[in-house]
Amino acid sequence: MADTAGAARPSRRVVITGLGAVSPVGIGADVFAAAVRAGVNGTAPIESFDASAFPRRKAGEVLDFEPADHLKRLDPPRWGRSGLLAAAAARLAVADADIDEEQLDTARAGAVMGTTSGESAVVQALAEQWIEGGLASIDGELAGQTPASRIANAVSAELRLTGETQTIPTACSASNYALGYAYDLVRSGEAEVMLAGGADAVNRLTHAGFYALGAMAEDVPRPFAADRSGIVTGEGGAVLVLETYEHAVARGARMYAEILGYAANCDAAHMVHPDATSIAAGIRAAHEAAGVEAAQIDYICAHGTGTPTNDSTEVAAAREVFGDRIPPISSIKSMLGHTMGAASGFGAIACCKAFEQDFLPPTANVTESDPALGEGVDCVPGVGREARLDIVQNHGFAFGGNNVITILGRVS
Amino acid sequence: MTTATATAGTAAVATAAPLYVTGAGVVSAAGYGLAPLGELLLKQGELERHPAGEDAEAYPPRPVRAVHGFDVKAHLGRKGTKYLDRLTSFGLVACKEVLEGAEVSGGRTGVVLATNTGSVSTHSSLLYDTLTLEKPYLVNPGQFPNTVMNSTSGQIAIRNGLRGLNATVAGGQTASLLAFRHARLALGLGRAERLLVGGVEELSAPAAWAWHRTGVLREDAALGEGAAVFTVQQDPAEGALAELLACEVRFTPDPRQYADGLANAVARALDRSGVRPEEVTAVSLGAVHHRGLERIEERGVRAALGGELPRAVRVADVLGETYSASGALQLAALLALWQAEPPASPVTALVTSVGRDGNAAALVVRSPR
Repeated sequence: MADTAGAARPSRRVVITGLGAVSPVGIGADVFAAAVRAGVNGTAPIESFDASAFPRRKAGEVLDFEPADHLKRLDPPRWGRSGLLAAAAARLAVADADIDEEQLDTARAGAVMGTTSGESAVVQALAEQWIEGGLASIDGELAGQTPASRIANAVSAELRLTGETQTIPTACSASNYALGYAYDLVRSGEAEVMLAGGADAVNRLTHAGFYALGAMAEDVPRPFAADRSGIVTGEGGAVLVLETYEHAVARGARMYAEILGYAANCDAAHMVHPDATSIAAGIRAAHEAAGVEAAQIDYICAHGTGTPTNDSTEVAAAREVFGDRIPPISSIKSMLGHTMGAASGFGAIACCKAFEQDFLPPTANVTESDPALGEGVDCVPGVGREARLDIVQNHGFAFGGNNVITILGRVS
Repeated sequence: MTTATATAGTAAVATAAPLYVTGAGVVSAAGYGLAPLGELLLKQGELERHPAGEDAEAYPPRPVRAVHGFDVKAHLGRKGTKYLDRLTSFGLVACKEVLEGAEVSGGRTGVVLATNTGSVSTHSSLLYDTLTLEKPYLVNPGQFPNTVMNSTSGQIAIRNGLRGLNATVAGGQTASLLAFRHARLALGLGRAERLLVGGVEELSAPAAWAWHRTGVLREDAALGEGAAVFTVQQDPAEGALAELLACEVRFTPDPRQYADGLANAVARALDRSGVRPEEVTAVSLGAVHHRGLERIEERGVRAALGGELPRAVRVADVLGETYSASGALQLAALLALWQAEPPASPVTALVTSVGRDGNAAALVVRSPR
């Protein structure tokens, strides 16, 4: 079993060289980063479905998304909104990485995409047909667009990728899971380049469900604030280009960050209530995998949903690991809304831009953190703050107790 | 064992070390476990053709291979079963069977489960509610968490105390094979010691109509449901049910090249397994009854094996179409046949799958030594 031991500690370094953001605060990584740094509010009255009968009628939608503006091969009517968001973000990421399509081909590139609700807009349209005309009346072509797998398939079809194409629907930790699995594929030699991230679309059922759970904000999300009241649903496509350090150097690529490691665990306790001890164990495992000490972490890009429970649990978990010296911890969901399966992908993009442009992403809509969270919680209230970051961690937690923590470092 | 196959310009990729299958849990129209499945495959017996469940009357006119008489409480007791949907119940029962008598180290044991879109029955009934209720936000908060696609793997973790890696993998028809590949990488990198790997699907009237209206299946093709979950580990185990060798995947953007894509995946899987094409004694096929794909799959396998198709196992003939669970049930079929009629010496077989968007996957399996 000599090969087993060799495979357990692969030495290939994995770097992030391209970013694609199709988000409620703008399309393109630079537009996204500028909006995040400024604390822009990306939520607005819902347009994608009739929300008039709901008590809350706002969401973080990508209102200016025109698939045909970004896609060269996919025929938009044949794909669902989530897949189109992912494919457009992938196009942007590949352009940002300045990697040509022939290089993708020879590098055995593939796509790993996370999602919470898959092609939810397609399923919603089918349900409307069902109510209108009975099950026998549903459109077969539309029914063929429902598989969640079509999110990663959309990326590979758009970019003519032949490598591993896998959708990981681990709910709101999904993009981090996708990043982690893609990182494992690259560092172990299974692939040379991977596109990883996630996508979700604003939809009626998610909106209704979070309201029913009592987890929806009265107006805007205020993560870590004393008056936080929950989430606002959001959507988008977030894609990052991963490749080996050697491959990036050989083609003279700009490197935003190195993936130092990650960990994934499961609370195995409750479907919707997060568990601080389990999250703390996940953070420690991620540090160990990355070969870093807690004291080296400069910033936590929080899961930060803005529900009372999530934020206090997340801070409690951080306190278990960091003691009273918790690094600055902020939530970009304050601006985007909760983009579900894309959320930790946007978190990773924010981290990469924070390395590049020397700033801490803020928690918008907040002036100070909730005193009940304890001493020393710096949620970077309001707008971004200048800071040089070297090592950061990105959180993604989910229903089902799925926690995934990725550790990113400035490339040395 | 340290040989490597290197492709020009890419890093050397190690030969696949075997993974050992130490248990199997199966819920299908044939019954529970491998034995009734093996019996059914050998007899090519006929099962009931009508749907099960409260919405049975609302199904389209086509054969169905349902899990009849299924009562989750009979398997798991009453506690904690109130909000479980059919999909998660199948998964939990399969996992209970697979873990029976096994010692579980919760922190180092994880789950990698294939899905298509999670529970269609839960999802569609809640969606129906939000579209028809006067107060559309009054959906059942106890059921809403079941709409996320990782709900089944989360429930499996909760019920069995599995705190390790907990992944859910979507890949359409190829999802279960993607789950085996995902598990292989995770075990190889030491992310877990042991994984429960498999796939689950449930039937409902909305799902049946979706199949019916897409028209991708032959008219006489039955729809199926069920679960197959396997315990998989890297450490050699006495009495293993099978060894899993390489699992390779390929995406093919151009439909004209789908067969070539599968042939590529099969060839690489055999190469990394150290198995010659002529050593393959059986192939457990996935795209059975799929218009177009059925012939593409056979063509791809023939191309990779040098022209001949070995003994073909078509589990969908007896269990119906089980989509994201099909790869796991294809593997279950091989294991069931090997248990029913043990080969005189170890034999090697293939599990293959092709999907409508161009996904292809191939898993190499060896019978117990």
